[in-house]
Amino acid sequence: MRRLLIILAVILLPGCALYDAYMMTGFDPNEYLLITQIRVDAKQYKTQCAMPMATNNAVTISYKTTLFETYSQGLPNNADVQRAAKSLNEIAQGLVDSYGKGPVNPLFCKLKYGSIENSAAVMQVVIGNRPR
Amino acid sequence: MTLDQINQELANLANSGDPVFANAANQVAQMTAAAQAGQLSTEDLAELLKDMQRQLDIIDDMSQLKFKETLNTIITGLLSLAAVVP
Repeated sequence: MRRLLIILAVILLPGCALYDAYMMTGFDPNEYLLITQIRVDAKQYKTQCAMPMATNNAVTISYKTTLFETYSQGLPNNADVQRAAKSLNEIAQGLVDSYGKGPVNPLFCKLKYGSIENSAAVMQVVIGNRPR
Repeated sequence: MTLDQINQELANLANSGDPVFANAANQVAQMTAAAQAGQLSTEDLAELLKDMQRQLDIIDDMSQLKFKETLNTIITGLLSLAAVVP
């Protein structure tokens, strides 16, 4: 019976996917906390785009997305999150770059945080479902 | 593709029933409407549309990870079964 189950698994599941899935990084509470913080920060900062602290908020969230990207790079078998973390960091860096060029349109700022919040929400759910 | 066709495609996505794609479609619709009303510069709109592409990349990466998580659950279950069944 045991042999039958193993043969069944090998036949039904493609080799590379099987290996990747079996070797995947398990749930990491720090990774989950960081992406949750980014999501919550983006939700909060979205409401402060017309306030004096908007520039500082952009710097703060870009620091966190950089921290998240760097942290995920150190985890083995974590390529999917590493790619997503890089994309998320690019979104946040674009906002900081805009503040470096001069005054930023509050609507642009709000939509930027919307992109960060939505992306972080998608990532949070999947990262939270990793095997424990 | 004309602007009307783009708006139609966005409306289809917004009504697709998938909350992630519906959210993305609503965001794009909001951006293009704001740009048409002169509330967003062309440069800002271009950056925001690049962000949409990045969001789609993130969704793609997370879909692959979700698939692997499902596989991992199946493998773990099969191994547990194999361990207890003679």
